[in-house]
Amino acid sequence: MHKQIDALVAKRQAELKITPAAVNSDAKFVRRAYLDLTGVIPTVTQARAFLEDAAADKRQKLIDDLLDSPDYALHMARVFDVMLTERRIAAGGASRDVPQATWRAYLAESFAENKPWDMIVHELLASDGTEEKLAGALKFYLVRDVAPHQLARDVGRLFLGVDLQCAQCHNDPRIDEYLQADYFGIYAFLERIKLHPVTPRGAQLAETAESKTTFVSVFTAESGETAPRLPGGPMLADPELEKGKEYIVKPGSKERSVPAYSRRLKLAEQLPRAQTQGFSRNIANRLWALLLGKGLVHPLDLHHANNPPSHPELLAALQHWLVEHNYDIKGFLREVALSDTYQRSSAAPTNAPQEPPDGAFAVAPLRGLSPEQLRWSLLQATGRTELHYTRLEAQASKAEPMPAAAPEPAWKVKAARNEALERQTASLIAAFAGLPGQAEAGFQPVVDQALYLRNSSKFLPLLQADPGTLLARLNSLTDAGPAAEELYLSVLSRKPTADEAAEVGRLLKAAKTSAERGEALQALLWGLLLSAEFRLNH
Amino acid sequence: MPARKSIAAAAAISRRTCLQGAAAALGYGALAYPLRAEAARPLRKQLLLLFLSGGASQFETWDPKPGVKTGGPFRSISTSLPDVQISELLPHASKILHRLTVVRSVNSNIPDHFQGHYALQSGRIVPGYPVLGSAVAKLLEHADDVLPGYLTIRRDGPKAYTDVGDAGFLGAKYEGVRIVNNQPPENLIRPAAVSSALADAVDRIRKSADERFRQGRDDRPIRAYGATFDQAAALMQRREIFDLSKESASDHEQYGKHEFGQHCLLARRLLQAGVTCVKVTHFDWDAHQSNFYWHQVRCAEFDRTLVALLDDLERRGMLEHTLVVISGEMGRTPQINNLGGRDHWGRAWSVAMAGCGVKPGVVYGATNELGTEVKDKPVKLGDLFHTYLRAIGIDSSAKYEIDGQVNPVADPAAKPIADLLA
Repeated sequence: MHKQIDALVAKRQAELKITPAAVNSDAKFVRRAYLDLTGVIPTVTQARAFLEDAAADKRQKLIDDLLDSPDYALHMARVFDVMLTERRIAAGGASRDVPQATWRAYLAESFAENKPWDMIVHELLASDGTEEKLAGALKFYLVRDVAPHQLARDVGRLFLGVDLQCAQCHNDPRIDEYLQADYFGIYAFLERIKLHPVTPRGAQLAETAESKTTFVSVFTAESGETAPRLPGGPMLADPELEKGKEYIVKPGSKERSVPAYSRRLKLAEQLPRAQTQGFSRNIANRLWALLLGKGLVHPLDLHHANNPPSHPELLAALQHWLVEHNYDIKGFLREVALSDTYQRSSAAPTNAPQEPPDGAFAVAPLRGLSPEQLRWSLLQATGRTELHYTRLEAQASKAEPMPAAAPEPAWKVKAARNEALERQTASLIAAFAGLPGQAEAGFQPVVDQALYLRNSSKFLPLLQADPGTLLARLNSLTDAGPAAEELYLSVLSRKPTADEAAEVGRLLKAAKTSAERGEALQALLWGLLLSAEFRLNH
Repeated sequence: MPARKSIAAAAAISRRTCLQGAAAALGYGALAYPLRAEAARPLRKQLLLLFLSGGASQFETWDPKPGVKTGGPFRSISTSLPDVQISELLPHASKILHRLTVVRSVNSNIPDHFQGHYALQSGRIVPGYPVLGSAVAKLLEHADDVLPGYLTIRRDGPKAYTDVGDAGFLGAKYEGVRIVNNQPPENLIRPAAVSSALADAVDRIRKSADERFRQGRDDRPIRAYGATFDQAAALMQRREIFDLSKESASDHEQYGKHEFGQHCLLARRLLQAGVTCVKVTHFDWDAHQSNFYWHQVRCAEFDRTLVALLDDLERRGMLEHTLVVISGEMGRTPQINNLGGRDHWGRAWSVAMAGCGVKPGVVYGATNELGTEVKDKPVKLGDLFHTYLRAIGIDSSAKYEIDGQVNPVADPAAKPIADLLA
C-alpha cells in the first residue's frame, strides 16, 4: 500500500504544482522512526549502528525491528491512553476509577498482541468491570464519570471522527439537525448506564431497562425522539420482553442491575464494524496523523460536509486497506512508515516558495514531541535511562536467583523497569501536558514550560555528570572532535556539522580548568536539549 | 464558508508577522511596558473580570425588592443616581453608582455552576469556545508582547468549576496563567547552583542551534518555541510584578488585607504591568443556606474593595482604558428555601460594569415586582459578551481564522447592547 500512498499524494501535489521535499537523510530518518514507533529517540549506540549500516534495505529493517520491540507496545499504550482519556481524571477519585497502571497494561498488552482496532473498541465499550482481563478497559467510561452526554460526544469524536456537538458546524442549519439526531441516537445507547461503585474489586457499570430519549434543539427549539441509532444506520428498537423479565438482576438490590437487553452491549456490538459510517475512516485518519502530523481530515474529530478530506481517494484507500486487513494497526503503520511520503525531509526544496502548502504532505511537518516523548527522550539523551537499567541489572545479579516462573512478556518487563524513571520525571509531564479533557492539539509551547526547563529543581538533576551519564562520557573524552560527535549523536541522533564541531571546539578550548570544561560541556548539553531541533519531531 | 486554503494562508501569515515582531522586541524586553507617562503608542485596552463564583443574589446586590415575599430582610438604600436604589449591603457602591453600569435584566437561563461558568465567560452555550479573558488576550495581542495576555487570580481550594477549559480552540498560549493565593508562577528564579554565566552560555548555544535548524524550514514552530524562552526571561526579570510588598501600606489598607482585597491589588499591579486581561474570582456566593448571613459577609468584603479598586484605577488613569466586569455564573432564586437559602437561578438577574467603553450611570432593564421574570429589555448572555468586546474596541462581529477553521468571535445570534456603550 505504501506505493499507492505515494502515488495518490503525488497526484495531488501535481495538481497543486508542488515539488515535494527530498527523502530525508538516514540521521533524520532514524530519529523520526524511533520517535514515532517507539516514542523515544535512539540511544547513541542505536543511532551509530543505523548510520554505519550499509545495507540497502536498512530502513525497512529498522521499521520492522521497531514495530516488534516492546517499546512499540509501551509507546502506543501512551499514545492511546492520551487519545482515549484526554488526561481526564475521574471526579469521584481513585475509588471510582481503575488504576492508571491497569489501564496502561491493558493497552500495552493489546498493542503487543496487535489486537485489531475493532476488537479494542468493542472491549472498551463492552467492559463493565466484572471481568478481570478487561478491568483496565473500563477506564473509558470511568474517566468520563459514566456521564452519558460526555460519553456520547466522545464516542462520536474518538471512534467516528465527528463531533456531534460541534460548535464549528452550525453555519448550516441542515447539518445541525442531522448532527443532533445522530448525537441523541448514540446517547440513547448510553443513557441507561450508571456507576455501581460498591464492590471490593472496584467500580462496575449498572444499567436499567427503561428510558426514552427525547431531545430539544437548542437552535430551533424543535424536539425529537429517538431509539438507539448509529449515524447513517437504522433505529434499533428494544426487543419486546415479557413483563417481569426485563432484568437479569433488578435494580434496588446490592448487586448492580443488569437488564435482559443491554443497549450498551448493542453499541459495543454494532459500532466497531466496517458498516458503521465513520468507523474505519476515523481510525485510518488518526493513525495517518500519528505519523504525518496532520489528518487527511483535520481536525481529527471534525469530519463533515464543509470540512472534507484533503485527499479523499487516499483516505478511502487507507480505510479500505484497514477493513481488508482486519484493522491491523501495526501493519497499517508499517505501510505508512515505508512510504516516501512519510520519509520526506522537513526542509523544503531550495527552489520552493517559503510557505509550505497546507496539507499537501510535500514537506515533513515540524511536530512537537508529546510530553511522554519528551520525557523519554530527555532521559535517553542524558544517559539516565541506560544508567538506570545498568543499576537494575547490577542489583538483579546480586540478588538471590528467583525460582523460575513463567516468563513475563517483554513489554511487561520493560514497563516494570521504567517505573522508577516515570516517577522521577512526573513533574515534567505535569508541566508539559495540556488540561484534562482537552484533545492534544498541535505544537503549542507556553512560558511555564520554558521556565521549567531553565529553573526547575526537578529538572536540573538530569543534567548532573553522574558516572555512566552522557556528561560523564563527555568529560572523559579529551579531544573536542569525538566529544562533539558523542554529544550530537546522543542528543540529536546525528553527527555535528563542521560549524557545530567548531563551536564545541571553541567552547572547550576557552575552558582553562577541568571544572570550566565540565561547565562548558554542561552548557552544550543543556543548550541542545533546549533547542527546537530537540523539542520537535522533524 | 470561504475556501479553506486561503483562510489557512491568511492565518499563517498573521502568525508569522506576529512572531517576527516578538523576536524584534527582544532587545528592549524590559521596556516593552513603559509606565503610562512614557507610553509611545495609544494605551492598550484592558479587561478586569471580577467573577462572583457560586452566583451572587441579585436581590441582595443590584436589584433589591424590599417588602415583597421574595425580597428578604434587607432594606434598599438611595444611591448617587436619583430614583435608583440598591441593597443596603452595598453602601460604598451606592455612593458611586453614577460611575457604574448595571444590567438588571439578564436572562441566561442556566441554573448550573459548570455550565454557567463556561457560558457567562464565553458568551456561548456550545462548548469549545474561548472564555472572555482568553478571547481578549488573543484579540488585543501586540506583536511585541512578552508577558502572558491572560492571568487568573484565585484562592486555592475549590477547583471544580472555577477553571473551565479556558482558551478552547485558541490553544494553550491563551490559557489563563493561574495565580493561586497570589503566588507567582513556579520557577521564576534561577537556582543558586546555576551561575549566570552558565545560564547565558546555555541561551547562546540554544539560539545558535535554532538559527542553524531553521534554515530552509517552516520556522513558525521554531520561533514560537524560542519566544517562550524570551517570555520566560522577561517574567524572571520582571517578577516584581507579582510582589505586593512593593505596594504602599495605604493601598494595602484601602483594598483590604483579606484575600479578595489582596487579589484585587495584585490584579491592578498586573494590569499596570501590561497584562491584557485579569480575572479575580471571589468565592462563596453559593448560599443555599443562610443566604442573608452569607451575603452580609460577602458583600461587606466585596463592596469596599470594589470601590477602592475603581477609585485607584481612576486615580491612576487606568479606568479610561480598562473595562471592569462584575458577574457571576448565575443569580439566585426569588424563592427563599426552608434553610433560609436561595438556590440556583438564571432567569432574571444582574451584572455590572465600569470603566472603558461603557456609559456610566446607566441602570438597564428591569425585573417584575417579585423579581421572578425580566419585564423590560431582556439581555441574553451572548449580548453581554458582545457588549464587553465592543466596550474595549473589539469588533464583535469579527471571525477567528485558525487552522483552516472560521469561527465567529461572538455568537452571531446575539448583539451588543447599544444603550450601554459609551
